[in-house]
Amino acid sequence: MSKVKSLVKIKPKTYKNGDIVKVDFVAMHPMETGMRKDKATNQLVPANYINNVKFIYNDTTITTMNVWESLSTNPAISISMKINGEGSLKVVFSDNTGSVNEKSIKIKPKG
Amino acid sequence: MQRREFFKKLGFVAAAAAVVPSVSFAADAAAPKGPNEFSFEEALKAITGSKGATASDKIKLKVPEIAENGAVVPVTVEVDSPMSADDYVKTIHIFATKNNNTRCIAAHLTPANGKAMLATRIKLGTTQDVATIVELSNGTFLTAKQNVKVTIGGCG
Amino acid sequence: MRLAVKTAILLALCGSLSMASEQFSMSDEDRAMYEEMLENNPAEIMIESGGELFEEYCGGDAALAKFLGVKEDALAEYLAGFPRYIESLGMVAGIDQVLQALMHQRGHKPFALKSSEMFELSSYVKSLANDTAINIDVNANKHMKEAYAFGKEVFEAKRGGRGLSCLSCHSKEVIGSILRTQPLPDFRANNTAGTWPAYRMTKSELTTLQKRFQGCMQNALLDVLPLGSKEMNALEVYITERSNGLPIAIPGLKR
Repeated sequence: MSKVKSLVKIKPKTYKNGDIVKVDFVAMHPMETGMRKDKATNQLVPANYINNVKFIYNDTTITTMNVWESLSTNPAISISMKINGEGSLKVVFSDNTGSVNEKSIKIKPKG
Repeated sequence: MQRREFFKKLGFVAAAAAVVPSVSFAADAAAPKGPNEFSFEEALKAITGSKGATASDKIKLKVPEIAENGAVVPVTVEVDSPMSADDYVKTIHIFATKNNNTRCIAAHLTPANGKAMLATRIKLGTTQDVATIVELSNGTFLTAKQNVKVTIGGCG
Repeated sequence: MRLAVKTAILLALCGSLSMASEQFSMSDEDRAMYEEMLENNPAEIMIESGGELFEEYCGGDAALAKFLGVKEDALAEYLAGFPRYIESLGMVAGIDQVLQALMHQRGHKPFALKSSEMFELSSYVKSLANDTAINIDVNANKHMKEAYAFGKEVFEAKRGGRGLSCLSCHSKEVIGSILRTQPLPDFRANNTAGTWPAYRMTKSELTTLQKRFQGCMQNALLDVLPLGSKEMNALEVYITERSNGLPIAIPGLKR
């Protein structure tokens, strides 16, 4: 299972407990709809898209998402998050082929 | 994706499942459509049942009036909500009303989000309305939509 | 007969140009939404990969600075002056060609100029000069002077099936006119040289300015010039000069 590269960012970069920050998630994924024809082979490229995303903050799942093939290739998704303690934010994402990937970042509130 | 599976994933109660129209998919299988074909009308009915959704200015739906290209169209939905334990936005759905599969994303939020906001980028096959259905913790549904003109052209 | 056809095509072209239709002009609000997307540019991940390639195949900042004969802390400013005449290569070259030479020196088979690895690698290296002002010196030596003059010649040469030159659609007179639903760009106002390499939304790829030139040529029915050729490098010198003084800000986000 090849690793799908992704990045997770918090904006702003500095925050305190109680702040509501923006969480950005971007993944390198083709998001194939299954309805596109490969010009070279004239065959339909099979559907291959992220269909589920989970945001887990210090072992609590704060947001889950169902995603479909209508999202752009190399999708970017943003949500808000209330800072509530030091720890980590883990984003787990899976696609319709069964591939599962994840990315974690540290959450370090200043005060 | 079978309709039942769709509902399970949305955490629907059996009651909601009961309003699923018993349409057979055999006919669809013949036509060369995507496996996830789903219309906005079907989605609205599936999500809200007989309740329907009310247009609301508590929703701020941000999409460009004119999209420079159909491959990457930015969409942001913000809902005016306290996001407290007893009054929060449960789900924000985004739809491309004319795409073969109207469903783009369904984000299930919790008070831990602090703010009801969802932003992403979608593919639009043609000029169409981009719509959102918002489910609140009190069981009601709000909706908003905006038309997006998709320009196809350019050189190179 | 040919002249009549050419004239007809040019008139039709001018006709569609003058149709600067309001309906295709994006509003300021719309433009702002696209600018916001620069924050989460998928190309950032590709550039990160480029950074890994840079360490593995080129030896990082120290090796590149040494190869170029500059101090490491002067590397960013030096990179912001490309394309440059590189003595060891005996030609006016782009960052990608320098990296090819460096890879070769380190015993690796260089990535092809048109490969995605090279796009990632050269984009990463150019990004080391982010926020640095472009400072290409087109009078630095006779090679740069020649390249600039040649670049202007290539830009203005009428070629191909429609007898078009770059100038046909990129002259001062037609900036802002709408052609095939897109407003024709002002290379300085858009800081073209400073915002490429960029993520192309319609291709979902990180590509370079020269690759973009190729797309343009293809659509205008001009013979596509090879990446890294004398013509293409000269063209890049000519276009980069227009952005002198403007900061590098990559990866860009383009249609």
